[in-house]
Amino acid sequence: MEDIIQLAIDLAGKLGADYAEARFQSDVLESIVLKNGVSEVSVFGELKGFNVRVVFKHSLGFASTSTLTRRAARDAVKRAVKVARASTGVLKKGVQMGEGRLGDEKVEVKARVKFDCVDLDSKVLLLKETDTSAKEAAMEAKTKLPARMLTLDNLTTERIVVTSDGACVSSVVPRVALNSFLTVYDPQKGTAQRHFNLGESAGWEAVEKWNLPRLLWEEAYSLSTSLMEARTPPTGEMDVVLGPEVAGIVCHESCGHPAEADRILGREAAQAGETYLKADSLGLRVGSSVVNVVDDPTLPRSFGFYLYDEEGVKARKRVLIKEGVIHEFLHNRETAHQFEVESNASSRSTAYNREPIIRMANTFLEPGDYSKEELIEGVKHGVYIKNFMEWNIDDRRFNQRYVGLEAYLIEKGKLMEKVRNPVLEVTTIGLWSAIDAVGKNLNFQAAYCGKGDPMQGIPVWTGGPNTRLRKIRLGGT
Amino acid sequence: MKQEEIPPYVVGLGVKYGATDVVAKLVELDRTMIRFSNNEVTASKSFRERTVNIFMMIKKQRAGSTIGVLSSKALQRVVKKLIKMAKISPPADIYATLPRGPFHYGPSLLKPSQVSLDLNKLINYVRETINGASELGALRVAGSLIATNLRIFLETSSEASAMQRSSSLEMSVRAFTSDVASGHSVSIAQSEREFQPAQAGRLAGETAKMAKNPRPGEPGKYTALLSPIVFADFVNQMGLLSSAFLIDAGSSFLTDKIGSEVASKKFTLIDDPTLGDTYGTRAFDDEGVPAKRNVIVQNGTLKTYLHNSTTAKKFNVKTTANAGLIVPSPWNLVVEPGGKTFEEMLSGIDDGIYVTNDWYLRYQNYRRGDFSTIPRDGIFRIKNGQINSPVRDLRINDNILRIFKNIRDLSRSRLWVKWWEVSIPTLTPYAVIEDINFTRSTT
Repeated sequence: MEDIIQLAIDLAGKLGADYAEARFQSDVLESIVLKNGVSEVSVFGELKGFNVRVVFKHSLGFASTSTLTRRAARDAVKRAVKVARASTGVLKKGVQMGEGRLGDEKVEVKARVKFDCVDLDSKVLLLKETDTSAKEAAMEAKTKLPARMLTLDNLTTERIVVTSDGACVSSVVPRVALNSFLTVYDPQKGTAQRHFNLGESAGWEAVEKWNLPRLLWEEAYSLSTSLMEARTPPTGEMDVVLGPEVAGIVCHESCGHPAEADRILGREAAQAGETYLKADSLGLRVGSSVVNVVDDPTLPRSFGFYLYDEEGVKARKRVLIKEGVIHEFLHNRETAHQFEVESNASSRSTAYNREPIIRMANTFLEPGDYSKEELIEGVKHGVYIKNFMEWNIDDRRFNQRYVGLEAYLIEKGKLMEKVRNPVLEVTTIGLWSAIDAVGKNLNFQAAYCGKGDPMQGIPVWTGGPNTRLRKIRLGGT
Repeated sequence: MKQEEIPPYVVGLGVKYGATDVVAKLVELDRTMIRFSNNEVTASKSFRERTVNIFMMIKKQRAGSTIGVLSSKALQRVVKKLIKMAKISPPADIYATLPRGPFHYGPSLLKPSQVSLDLNKLINYVRETINGASELGALRVAGSLIATNLRIFLETSSEASAMQRSSSLEMSVRAFTSDVASGHSVSIAQSEREFQPAQAGRLAGETAKMAKNPRPGEPGKYTALLSPIVFADFVNQMGLLSSAFLIDAGSSFLTDKIGSEVASKKFTLIDDPTLGDTYGTRAFDDEGVPAKRNVIVQNGTLKTYLHNSTTAKKFNVKTTANAGLIVPSPWNLVVEPGGKTFEEMLSGIDDGIYVTNDWYLRYQNYRRGDFSTIPRDGIFRIKNGQINSPVRDLRINDNILRIFKNIRDLSRSRLWVKWWEVSIPTLTPYAVIEDINFTRSTT
């Protein structure tokens, strides 16, 4: 494959490209789906292809092909240059590639237990055991669990990225993921639903560690008791403690997305939208001094793991909010040039036929010093929101809504009864500014972040510790 | 091997190695996309792909695959692997043999006209769109143009055999008159004749101009006038969640609602892939069954879920030709028009809100239909039958069935909608909905 990639880079130069980048990508997926305890289908996918991206007279062209031959590669290069050339008449500033620490390295995440060492029977058996466990939990909580969807994926992604200015990196990363959707039912109380993902860049050993039967038992039991026991939550101004799952989605939606430099420049305006931040927002206070939010692709085992991005730039931890102040944006080489900084390696793509764009990896609130008990002890009257189901945020990333699923009343520093669907509908700065204490229990959740056109759902972790907000309005308007 | 020979070759292999049922579909895609923002092109893309989807059953045991096009030797390897996977897969609860062909497909549905991927023509569409919005006062214009030609070769072990061409043009455009004042519009078409990118640009520009200097909206319950883009998002929910697979998975507010009132009597929803010369026109589903017109909701009553042969057997009905081998899906949604003009609908609202676009629709509970979504681009207060002033920062927070039941009026004019937020092409009118709940962030 390396010779085809080099051929493409050379040809792009001959055709007048000022910059060229070629990527081979192979994604091999195995997936099993269990619906209501019954196997739906076993799926095997193998998508391999090649793409080339060029800058031709400040115009960016991209072409992909699923045919891995020298002829198809030459055709892709010609198409990339052709579409870039055709667009030169509708340019103003155009595109230039900025600086970045380009790599020349091979990265391989080795699975301790390889996927092909685990037969399909064992995987299905595990899911069935998990499904049974969830049903038993609902029964114990005196509800029913009439609808369950469990999907277990293992995916191995191989990439080779070469650029005309010297990057040459390759990687092999295995990933495992569980997607779970549960519906509990009671004739009097109706239904409650829970959706969550687990995911790691690792082999089958990660799945073994998850202990799925136990986890799904806990999830189904908790969902059942939320349905049966939860009371109407208090509303009005009060203290709220967010669990790690909620802190994680807040970091992703209300810090990571706003910090994407392509949004700041308006490049995603017609699809995923823009951001309330401006190019000159570095140094802007958006939260209290205990707020430190980072995005770190280099976390071992993380779902969003990588050591080099799709432009061949070496990855590093990015500090997005430091002590409550906007500290850094997420850049690829294109935005790095416009902002006159170095790329911080945020260029990612989900497949051979997708353009690399600015993405998060693993975005989280850095832990503080508080135990969960200490955070709760400091609340006279409030609510603890452990997890959520519904959420959304406007396309400037300023007005958001998180609706709790498992949530508890806090009275005089103690967790009390469950409350139903507390609503946090607040502004980004209002939320970050209300945080007065951050816990020390950092936890992560897996997610697929959607962005781009065509859409690219990319693996990420979102995370944080338990986090306390003071005097925030609960209940929306 | 020629590509039209690949599906029958795969089916033959599957049967030879022991499958009771085999479907092989080869998709050949040629697509150009031009993305633009700040009145300039930011990326131009060319995609050429050939993929093969294979689905096999050994009675109740199933396996499926999506692969790039491979050599005959590699295809043999994949088919053998799928057979092995199917053999060791636990049985599903239902086995329905694939619908028996051969079938007759409408010739006009099989070979609609192809769109040109000529770059000069496509760049001109982008220019026309930007100019259209700018003429109306837009300072910044962003969007994407997608031109696609597609060929699908399908073969099944039950003697369905077909080749379909399809083509499409999509323009999605967003115009800005300030960071918080914008308008959005779309034009989608199956042929160049019906494609109106400049008009889409003008509509987006006009909305952006009207949306200048918005003030924070007041939360509360309002009569809402929804543009076709917003209503299409809601109609997509109704269409997608009528899939029998999602009903079975507990992921739909339409569960146990066949024969029940799920919308106002003014609302009729049809999935009609046989509607010629439209974006979602198609001749057959993924089991090779000739596509058909299905009335999902008639005068407010839910008439059918969407089925493939497996879900149909489970629900004891006939397939609606909406396979999706695992998950049935709508192809081309059509809402029957109402009788009023936009102006007549507007003039009937004393105190309301006009929403021109929305995004980020999420459910608290799919089964109940409790959800919220965020209006974006122009949002306007309506007072005494007239658009009064632009507002911002509101969220629709309600129940999807309640919204459909509260339809007061639908317009005569309709627009085809498909864009980033609306995945199924949908022909929808404007809609007036009583009593929609709007909320706003508080801190």
